Order: sequence, then C-alpha cells, then structure tokens
Amino acid sequence: MARSIWKGPFVDAYVLKKAEAAREANRNEVIKIWSRRSTILPQFVGLTFGVYNGQKHVPVNVTEDMIGQKFGEYSPTRTYYGHAADKKAKRK
Amino acid sequence: MPTDRVAVGAFAGAFGVKGDVRLKSFCADPASIAEYVPLYTEDGRRFDQIVLIGQGNNALIARVGGVTTKESADALKGQRLYAERANMPALPDDEYYYSDLIGLEVVDTGGNRLGRVKAVLNHGAGDILEVQGKPGGETILLPFTLAAVPTVDVGAGRIVADPPEGVLPGSGDEH
Repeated sequence: MARSIWKGPFVDAYVLKKAEAAREANRNEVIKIWSRRSTILPQFVGLTFGVYNGQKHVPVNVTEDMIGQKFGEYSPTRTYYGHAADKKAKRK
Repeated sequence: MPTDRVAVGAFAGAFGVKGDVRLKSFCADPASIAEYVPLYTEDGRRFDQIVLIGQGNNALIARVGGVTTKESADALKGQRLYAERANMPALPDDEYYYSDLIGLEVVDTGGNRLGRVKAVLNHGAGDILEVQGKPGGETILLPFTLAAVPTVDVGAGRIVADPPEGVLPGSGDEH
C-alpha cells in the first residue's frame, strides 16, 4: 500500500474548520485560505474558496471533479492574460 | 481599429516559397479562425479567404487570398488579424464572449460603482471577472456565477454584482 493511501489526504486543520463553519452558516461567501497544499475533500464541494496566490485570493468554486487535487492547482501564481478572441464564459 | 472588431490571430511569417503563411490563432479552437472571414489587419487590409492547409510549429499553415509570393507573406509577419464581432455565432443564455464582457461597468446591487471588467480568467475552477476600480489600482476577483453576478446587460454596458463576503478588500476573515 502506498504511503499516501494509509496516511490519508493532507488538509490544514484551519481549512476544515472554516469550511465547516461556512457550510453551517450557509452564507454566500468566499472562504479565504492560504493553504495551497491542502487536498480538496468531498465535503468542500459546492463551497467557494479564495485561495491565496501570493498577491490576492483567487475564487475557486469547488466541484466534484476537483476532489483529490490541491487548492494551489487552481490559483496560479503567475497570470497570463492572452487574447479574448472567441473565448466564452458561462455563468453557472 | 473599430471597437466592433476582435483580435483572433496574427501572421507569423511565410511557410515555404509558394506564398503560404504561418498563422497564430488566438481562438479557443485554433482552426475556427478561418470561419470568421473576412479578417482585417490594423492598417485596414481585408482578407476574404483563408484556407487552412496544415499545422506547423505553434502555428497553422494557411493559404490567404491575395498573398501569392513568399515576399508578400513575409511582409505580413507580425500583423494582427481582426474579425467582425457580428460574424461570431450567437451564444445561448448565460454564455458570453470574453470580448463582450471586457470593459463593462460593474455596479453593486445598491448602484455603487465597483469598476470595470479588466479581464476574464479561468484557471479550471470556473470563470472569474477581474474588476478594476481605478486605472492602475488594485483589482478584485469576482466569481462569474449567478449568485455573484445576477445581471449582465451587454447592450447597456453594465453588470450588476452582488460580491460574496470575502471578495472586496478588507472583507472576510483573516488567517
């Protein structure tokens, strides 16, 4: 068995606490976190986290397919704007 | 450059000696650049026909109407190509082109001005509007969701936002 399997996913304790509090409060809020190393857990689905990228908190809307990834993967530390061209944004 | 045109690509030089060109496409699907003809350069030159004939190093290979020699293809190198916004297909409700959103004024539900949309970002966790209050000032990142952005009125050039707690500077809890 791989070491990471028996140890379980790593999550900073304060992230769990904040997520739990936000779920109970059921408010429209972005949960500010600095822990880019924390794993995204199933109980985070539906919440929006503001993941710090060294400058600001980038909103990360957690969906099912993100479970198991780290928060930092969705909050790049370098921004490349590129061209708008025909790119589309969908409001969910 | 008229504001109803959108940059969709750029010439990257000649390909071969028969007047074919290398094209860099900025489109979500690179090959769709050929569907937006006619394309215009900044100096007003118009290209009615673009036929994609292959793919090269980080660029598409194309045959462009009116370009028949390597010299004329080389002369176009670096020029941007613009498409008419009207030539882009209509989108379903709640879907918008980035180019339509950029520049819209953002106000909160109380009517207070938050700024203008500077860019639309997507890092894999939903679309985000980057809103700039003052030129050169700090930006805020607003999730592009129905809850955070209840109204988008492209015609009126306005977005009504209901920023969630923690989005505006100084709001939300700290570490």
